[in-house]
Amino acid sequence: MDRRNFLKTTIGALAASQIASPTWAQGKPLKLGFLIPKSGPAGIFGPSSETTTTMAIEEINASGGILGRQVEALYGDAGGAPSDTVQAAQRLWRRDGVEALIGQHDSASREAVAAMLRGQLTYVYTPVNEGGYCHTNTYSLGETPDQQLAPVIPYLAKEHGLKKWYLIGNDYVWPRGTNAAAKTYIAETGGEIVGEEYHPFTVDNFDTSLTRIRESGADAVLITLVGGASVTFNRAFASFGLDKQAIRLGTLIEENTLAGIGEANSNRMYSTAGYFDALDTPAALAFRKTYYDRFGADAPVLNTLGEGCYEGAMALRAMFEAAGSTETDAVAAAANGVSYTGPRGTTTLSEGFAASDIYLATAKGAVFEIVQRFEKVAPGNACTNG
Amino acid sequence: MQEAIVFSLNVSYGIISLALLVLGLAIIFGLLGVLNMAHGELVAIGAYTAWAVQSAGLPLLLALPVAAIAAGAIGWLMEISIIRHLYRRPFDTLLATWGISILLREAIKICFGLEYKSVIEPVGGSITILGADYPTYRIWLMVAVVLGFVGLFLWYRRSHAGTRVRAMVANPMLASAVGIETAKLARRAFVLGAASAGLAGCLMAPLIRIDPYMGVDYLLSSFFVLVVGGLGSLQGVFIGSGVIGGAETAASTILGGTGGYVTVLVISILFLWLKPGGLYARR
Repeated sequence: MDRRNFLKTTIGALAASQIASPTWAQGKPLKLGFLIPKSGPAGIFGPSSETTTTMAIEEINASGGILGRQVEALYGDAGGAPSDTVQAAQRLWRRDGVEALIGQHDSASREAVAAMLRGQLTYVYTPVNEGGYCHTNTYSLGETPDQQLAPVIPYLAKEHGLKKWYLIGNDYVWPRGTNAAAKTYIAETGGEIVGEEYHPFTVDNFDTSLTRIRESGADAVLITLVGGASVTFNRAFASFGLDKQAIRLGTLIEENTLAGIGEANSNRMYSTAGYFDALDTPAALAFRKTYYDRFGADAPVLNTLGEGCYEGAMALRAMFEAAGSTETDAVAAAANGVSYTGPRGTTTLSEGFAASDIYLATAKGAVFEIVQRFEKVAPGNACTNG
Repeated sequence: MQEAIVFSLNVSYGIISLALLVLGLAIIFGLLGVLNMAHGELVAIGAYTAWAVQSAGLPLLLALPVAAIAAGAIGWLMEISIIRHLYRRPFDTLLATWGISILLREAIKICFGLEYKSVIEPVGGSITILGADYPTYRIWLMVAVVLGFVGLFLWYRRSHAGTRVRAMVANPMLASAVGIETAKLARRAFVLGAASAGLAGCLMAPLIRIDPYMGVDYLLSSFFVLVVGGLGSLQGVFIGSGVIGGAETAASTILGGTGGYVTVLVISILFLWLKPGGLYARR
């Protein structure tokens, strides 16, 4: 090969590679960043979030990926302080180049991550949340208080003749937001609030609270404690015999928390969520079968938070495919009204939140039993921080 | 009436659980003059042992000897490798044990991860005492701890080993001159202190939050007890636990959790300022 030919072929090859680059980018795997708790009080939700995410990614890839690209999941720990979650999110975004974030973590971290992203990346937030907020290009799929409590409080109040409610939660935005909504619904049933308290995550002695609940004569306790705190509280609650005095309603007592509380301490305890392992709709049963076949019978038990991660990936696929792109603006333009089918049934996105079915379950020993189904409950999206 | 019973049981539980947690620190400080900053981590190791034994499907009773041996072994390693070179250098032991505490905490993170663990109590449910329900496990715990303390006290007062320990504490030079092997005795005292911290963590495990940072909480509350009770005697441990545990439980019933903690801090500051030797000073 002479010099001229060498130059020709080299330049030709370079030019060809330039032209080919868009197609090459199409073939690049689509990286999705998952922020899930692997430490701290919410750490008990970590394992099931990881397995369901793995399952979602495998299913998506087996059916041709998203926009023709294979999908790859990258993880960040979201179990610590919001500032640590923000750092994990930044690493995923800036260093690893993820094209969307999926978060299954507390609301305080969501506020921090959304503030850091400022709408520059599509961010799907999957767990239970307090609602009433909005951030650009942030989509919340989890249950809001309007969904969990609007139908459930009147139902339970009627069933048990509840009049006196005691509210207890961890001290951050989600429990406070949930209780703000709860107060409206309790007032509508003619009930009154006889106590309200918030605890830091590290508290593990609830003796004082239990004394106050006893003295208040409460006949219902609404619990918005998270993970380990909820386990400790509920165990002490029952072992002090308070289960005879009051029913318990939790908006985040899922299967892992119930397992920690134990069958001896779960008497007269209710939980409200969009998904339970015990759900027997065809979609939920199919999901359940695939999950336990894939990960074995002793896999982390399915629950609303883990299932949420699976839904997060499915929602993102629906949004990206509706937009025909992973660009935030295109996704935002296409997202409203996008529907996807998951274990909860068909879920429809509206104004950054999701309308879905809600279930009330009661603990029978260490497992849940569905008591009542409330169909297509609206998330209530009165956005207060536009 | 019911409230009064639950309240007094809560106060007793507060005092007894605190005395149990402080014992290891008090033994090591009282007998050897070493302020063991790794005390909380030894408690944590005891609690993690309980978790490990339970998640392996073994009976929780087995965790007691395992926890004592694990924490005691770590105490023994600490003593022969580092502490014995630093006796009578209080500030250096403080720094050294603080370093060890960080080391142990990181080791716990590597072995057990960062998430919270929980241990299910071996005897669940509640006992009804004069019409008031109280957790069965707590009742058992209180009875066991009180019996343990009585036994320890009698042993320390009556036995030959106790006499030698007291001789060493009173005058180490004279004690070794009359043929007491103070080095060996000091090592045993250190191991005993570490093992009792592990035992405390194991016994408390079903009632507390178990995570790698739990040690710090127990170190702090133990210090408050020593500040109030005075350093280096079993009586001091009980008096200190009585004041701190009782005040915290009573104040949090009236003022809430934060109020209770503030009360404890105020009491500790007042003691450091006005009665630095504590209520039951040794000298």
